[in-house]
This record gives sequence, C-alpha cells and structure tokens, in this order.
Amino acid sequence: MPLDAIPIVVVNSAANQGGADTGLSGNAPVLLREIAELARRLLDSGESAAIDLRALPLTPADLDWLRETLGQGQVMATLEAEGESTLSETVCPGVWWVTHRNEQGAVASEFIEVTFVPELLKAHPDDVAIGLEHLELLISDLS
Amino acid sequence: MHGPLIDTLARQGVTRRTFMKYCATLASMMALPPAAGRAMAEAMASAPAATKRPSVIWLPFQECTGCTESITRSHSPTLEGLIFDAISLDYQETLMAAAGHQAEEALHAAMKANEGKYLLIVDGSIPLGLDGAYSCIAGKSNLDTLKEVAKGAAAIVAMGSCAAFGGIPKANPNPTGAVSVSDIIKDKPIINIPGCPPIPVVMTGVLAHFLTFGSLPELDGKGRPKAFYGETIHDRCYRRPFYDQGKFAKTFDDEGARNGWCLFELGCKGPVTYNACATVKWNGGTSWPVESGHGCLGCSEPDFWDGGGFYKALSMPADPLKMAAGAAVAGAAVGVAMSFANRGKKGAAKAAHETTTLADLEK
Repeated sequence: MPLDAIPIVVVNSAANQGGADTGLSGNAPVLLREIAELARRLLDSGESAAIDLRALPLTPADLDWLRETLGQGQVMATLEAEGESTLSETVCPGVWWVTHRNEQGAVASEFIEVTFVPELLKAHPDDVAIGLEHLELLISDLS
Repeated sequence: MHGPLIDTLARQGVTRRTFMKYCATLASMMALPPAAGRAMAEAMASAPAATKRPSVIWLPFQECTGCTESITRSHSPTLEGLIFDAISLDYQETLMAAAGHQAEEALHAAMKANEGKYLLIVDGSIPLGLDGAYSCIAGKSNLDTLKEVAKGAAAIVAMGSCAAFGGIPKANPNPTGAVSVSDIIKDKPIINIPGCPPIPVVMTGVLAHFLTFGSLPELDGKGRPKAFYGETIHDRCYRRPFYDQGKFAKTFDDEGARNGWCLFELGCKGPVTYNACATVKWNGGTSWPVESGHGCLGCSEPDFWDGGGFYKALSMPADPLKMAAGAAVAGAAVGVAMSFANRGKKGAAKAAHETTTLADLEK
C-alpha cells in the first residue's frame, strides 16, 4: 500500500473547523476572564503575571482559537537562544504571547504574560556593563 | 543575577537570556508556577562555586541499557548537556572508555577519593536468586557491588522502573528474584526516577536541583520527585477534555480515534500513572504516546507489567480470562475450548479483513 493511501486527517487544526468536532474543549474562553483579571491587577498594582499554557488542559484547537481571538498587536520580538523564541504583543496592549522553541523548532513552553514589557526583553545591568566595556574599547580604538 | 554558573555558561557562548529561557521552560516542565522560572534562574546562577565537580558513579545491574539510551538521547547539545558538564561521571560502563580492570580501578579510585560525598546512580534491578548469580560484574554479584558502593554514597538515584520498583525483571513469575534498590539499601536517601525508560529532563532536573540548592527535591510516598511525578498523565493530558465530555475512542481505527478522543476505553493507564510525559513529551518535545494515538502503559508505576493487560480499560475487572470469554466467545466452554475458539476467531478476522477489536487484542 502506498503511503499516501493511508488516510491521515489533521482534525485539530484551525483550518479544519466547523461542525461539532472542531477539537475545541470549551476551556479557552474561560481564560479570557483570567487574562482580564491579570490586566486589571497590572493596572492597579503594576504586578506582572504569567499563565503557563502547557499546564492547562487545552487542545491544539483551543490554543489556535485563543491565539486568533487575542490577535496580533504592533510589537513582535524574536529571540535567538538555543532555538527561536517569539514574544508578541496581542491586540490588547500589555498582554503578550510568549512561545519558546527548541533547536528542532518544537514548542518547548508557551506562556501568556501580562506585563508592560516581558522580563526577557530587558537588558540586565550586568550585561549593560559588559556592553559599556565593549563600547569603551571601540572608542579607544578610534584614537 | 551573577555567579559561577552564569560565568561558565557565558564562556561557552550561552547568554543570560538563553539561560532565563531555559529556566522558564524547566519550571514549566517541573509544573512550577511561571514566576518560579525567574527564581530558579537566580538561585542557579548565584549558586556558590564548588571547589570540585561532584563525583557521580553509575552502576548498571539487571537492565536493558534503555535508561542510558534515553539519557544520552536527550537533545544535545543543550543547556541540559552543560549542566551534565558540572558533574564528574567517574564510572559508567556503557559510556566510559576504560574496560576490565581499568574500569574497576576507576570505580574504586572514585569511591575512595569522594567517600561519603558521591552521588550513586543505579539502573536495573538486583537479582537475589541463586545467591545473585544471575547478574555479576567483575566476578561480583550485583547485590555485593550495590552494598559496597552504596556505603560511601551521599545519596542514591534509582534510575528507571527496574532500579526503582524491580521493573520487568521482577514481573511475574520473577525468575531471578529481582528486587529494587530500596528493598536492599535502607540507610541512605534514595530518589526513585521510574519510567521505562525515564524522561531525560527529569534526570537533569533532579541533578540541577542537587547542584543549585544542594539538596534533594521533595519526594512523594514512592520516593519520586514531586515536581515531575506530582500529577497523573490524565490530569495534564491534552485529551482530558474529551474524557470529561464522555468522548472515547472505542477501537484504534474508529472515528473517535481519528478525532483524537480519550483513549481510556482502549486501556490508557493515564489516570493512575504519575509522570510528566504529557507536558515534557519525548524526543525533544516531538510527541508522546497519547499524542501518537496509543494509551499510556503506566511504565513508571510499580508492577506495571502485571497490571492485567495494556488494552484493558481501568474500569474493567482485572481477570483477563473471564473478560475475554465474555467479550469474544459468548456461550463457549471455558478453558482449552475457549482459547481454541479465540484463535479461530482471530484467524477468521484476519481472513475477512475485519477491524481488530479490543477483545482480539486481549487474547
């Protein structure tokens, strides 16, 4: 039997929705309320928070729905660190979708961060100090 | 956030952000709250410099080397590999270059030099039958070797289901009299990392914990680190919503199976199995048994091999013979006649290209 004769249907992708079996569990919409609560807390107290999407019973279709619903905002940052990580702001400013991939490109962990700027994007003072040393070296080379 | 580990990593071209990303992922895998990633990064990065890399001795007993295969297949080179660089693996039969008397010398030299401080990793069960003659290394029974090496160990890691619980060698009728490490050693802290094989990152996680916090992670009643074995496969399974909705696959090729519904009725042992497969996954996060369409076998639980059938739903009674009689050959006589009848039905199914049912798999 040729390989393509085996009927393989990807059921849980967003492209295959419609009808009763969309692969949606109903667990995703609830998350919107939690995100709203975290956003309120960020405004009131400046406290950042994160939701570990891997720790929740969400189907791939749930994740697609959530990603689509939250939409893509203006900021999209890419981090190259043992595989690609993307940190993108959703349509709701302050709500970030963070995906860490490993070197093989598979998703290693995935979070929704509710914060003004994700911690990972900020430069650490120690690293800034190293950068400054480098700058001074560059300047001393000029003369 | 600075310290010897960050400096070591920096020398190897690993940036702070890479390290923070690794810690965030490790925290997610260890089922810790997201904020723990940052706390871990800080604790690990500022851990005091060890004057000497901690010595690790790895003893293989009655095993298939699958555990070693699993660990060495952890997607290298990664930060996990770098954390392994922080230890000195002084004896590991499969990986070490030395052999014979040289290897034995290395073992005894490491034991002497690090008396009371080395970490002992054991994979494989220990056979007690025939005075331990079933498995010997360098003319010594596994039992004698374990007792000798355990004496000077700071702690023991029982790697894999065989070392932790006796595993497949201990399966009924246990011809070699196999027992677990904790059946023999009573006076040392023992961490069980069961699984057939265990997940590589669980091993690295425990090592990272030992290196950074200087202590063993919190263990459950069966001696397993709670971080990885704190929840069942079922509780963290992405197919769990279908269980809650009562949507089950009834055979491996029906509509339910194609729709990715819950595999409970096909014998999935997820509800009673404590392990991290559902979140950590296998082969560098590619997939895991349930995602590939097969139920969990429960390989990290004691006596999983004797659980009464991999394809029997947990809710079914545990007597395999009576179940088969009821399901497949209604009205047939018990005993020999039944097994012939079953064989006949299997043959007929093959000839008629019938869909294989759950009852067929149970024969």
